[in-house]
Amino acid sequence: MNTFFYGVLPYIALTIFIGGTIMRYTLYERNWTTKSSQFLSKKDLKWAGPIFHIGLFMALGGHCMGILVPKFVTEAAGTDEHMYHLMSLAGGLPAAVLFLGGFLWLCKRRFAGNDRLQVNTSTMDKWLYSVLFLTIVSGTVGTVSNIPGGFDYRESISPWFRSLLMMQPDVSLMENIPLVFQLHMLLWMIMAILFPFTRLVHCLSFPFEYLLRSNIIYRKK
Amino acid sequence: MKIKAQISMVMNLDKCIGCHTCSITCKNVWTNRQGAEYMYFNNVETKPGIGYPKHWENQEKWKGGWELKNGRLQLRSGNKATRLAKLFYHPDQPEMDDYYEPWTYDYETLITSQRKNHQPIARPRSLITQKRMEIKWGPNWEDDLAAGESARQDYNLQNIAEDITLEFHDLFMKYLPRTCNHCLNPACVAACPSGAIYKRDEDGVVLVSQDGCRGWRHCVPACPYKKVYFNWKTNKAEKCIFCFPRLENGLPTICADTCVGRLRYMGVLLYDMDKVKEVASTPDKGEIYHSMLDILLNPHDPEVIAAAKDAGIPDSWLEAAQNSPVYKMVKEWQVALPLHAEYRTLPMVWYVPPLSPITRRAEADVYLPAVQEMRIPLSYIAELFAAGNVSVVEKVLQRLLDMRMVMRIQETGEKLSRKLEYDLETYQAMYRLMGIAKYKDRFNIPAGLTDETQDKLRELQGSCGYNCPGGC
Repeated sequence: MNTFFYGVLPYIALTIFIGGTIMRYTLYERNWTTKSSQFLSKKDLKWAGPIFHIGLFMALGGHCMGILVPKFVTEAAGTDEHMYHLMSLAGGLPAAVLFLGGFLWLCKRRFAGNDRLQVNTSTMDKWLYSVLFLTIVSGTVGTVSNIPGGFDYRESISPWFRSLLMMQPDVSLMENIPLVFQLHMLLWMIMAILFPFTRLVHCLSFPFEYLLRSNIIYRKK
Repeated sequence: MKIKAQISMVMNLDKCIGCHTCSITCKNVWTNRQGAEYMYFNNVETKPGIGYPKHWENQEKWKGGWELKNGRLQLRSGNKATRLAKLFYHPDQPEMDDYYEPWTYDYETLITSQRKNHQPIARPRSLITQKRMEIKWGPNWEDDLAAGESARQDYNLQNIAEDITLEFHDLFMKYLPRTCNHCLNPACVAACPSGAIYKRDEDGVVLVSQDGCRGWRHCVPACPYKKVYFNWKTNKAEKCIFCFPRLENGLPTICADTCVGRLRYMGVLLYDMDKVKEVASTPDKGEIYHSMLDILLNPHDPEVIAAAKDAGIPDSWLEAAQNSPVYKMVKEWQVALPLHAEYRTLPMVWYVPPLSPITRRAEADVYLPAVQEMRIPLSYIAELFAAGNVSVVEKVLQRLLDMRMVMRIQETGEKLSRKLEYDLETYQAMYRLMGIAKYKDRFNIPAGLTDETQDKLRELQGSCGYNCPGGC
């Protein structure tokens, strides 16, 4: 069972994530969009939109730190386990508040606000929001329940994820993982599978090149 | 000197009767789709009025166009870094109610109703929510000043600090048909984070790449004319495309072709691309119009012809530039002006300002009034077309009056009462182009390189090709 969930499914998910994204970009770039709903209703978006995205960036940064940076690196830099745990909580808890709070605020706007927003909410969006909600909640619950610090994901989940990236999955690392973290793992894989087919793709389009280009563009046929 | 060609338009407002034929033909061809119902690539406004979308001229509200900051040209909505911070919420983006909520009527009830004492009615229904709605505003709500009080909120009136009366004896109005201006210094292009909006190299038409657009929607507030729209169905930006498939076949845009007043002119202008930024940065906004005339090049000048050939402009385009009705009206005769030049986008749709009946205070037996005696205040026209520079408008209107005087004298044998600015042949040519306005004189568009037939275009009518394949 573990072999499938932690040795096979991640590769299926990542393959669909990357392959689907490339396929959508090359074949259906015309529907690659942020799917902004601001035109339909501005109400609540002013704060909810930025709060959600800031929470997301913080969570993303935290995950990169915790998963991609091996434990011996931070320890060599002079951060012991306790210090590290405090630091991750100091970043993780506010991130969870902003991320989850912003998400709920946006959902309130979308589903209990202006009727017009329904034309901006597809069935796929509803699936996405359900999975995203569970992902954020499981992540938040995991962080909060682990405040005492009983479970060290940097000795199990993180090395497992890095072993995935190095194409040598070490499934044994994932034995005895708390249930909420297991759920979180399953959810990110579902998210990765959904990703290419949802509005989420816009996150790959952050327009850094805008800072470099000239103002007026002329284009030949 | 880097010469570029631009397809440009002139509208002779003296002849506009506000019939909306241009808007209707445009809508039928380009925006009769879900997500685009509320869009009018071409619309006609009654001025004074707040327009479509509401208050579009108020750049303190929308932050559209460019401004000079310490002498440097910058988008009014801020520098690039601050603009990127607005990706998640754009404070200056108009929302649907700033345009109007599109609706249809329950026509079915007229047919399916049971026999009743009262006649069945078709009630309005929103095209967005599909629910019953009350119609509170529409795309031409102010037609012929019908919205009453909103006329007083016209932003141009605030600028000239003139209150207007809506008393019948004193009121004035004029029509203002508006399309995308296909500017030389387009703010929408500069504002697009994805680089999806561009000026076509060969004819200067400004287009939104439907593949490149990511829906960051910065172009919508950036365009000071509010002529880029957000499609709520495809979630991408759309705008007037100057009917480029028609242009490529040597045909004028559908709005110009179908204009019953025959007041639209289209042709080629040559301009010096290297000086665009300098012109847009003209310190005195009242002088931008004159600077714009300076970069429009004389297509008969041998030096210009040589440089144009160097720049790869084909002979057919050069020839069209030499016989361009737009060049005549804009540069030779100087009777056409840019709309709100103070936005510094260098618009390429030009307007011949309208003459209007004399005020009741003037002498009753005057045939041709002085420009100052006309019903539409000069300062108001100047706000629209000359960035407040009244003397520019005065001169243009005087040329139009002189043309009338010359043509009248030919019939009556009266003596000229004032010294003319141009020679008689010029006024007669002006009369032929603006008074008679034959189709072949109004439009001189060199066919492009493609050989699609007009029939092919008819097959594509109403199917613009913007909708998502497979939904999104």
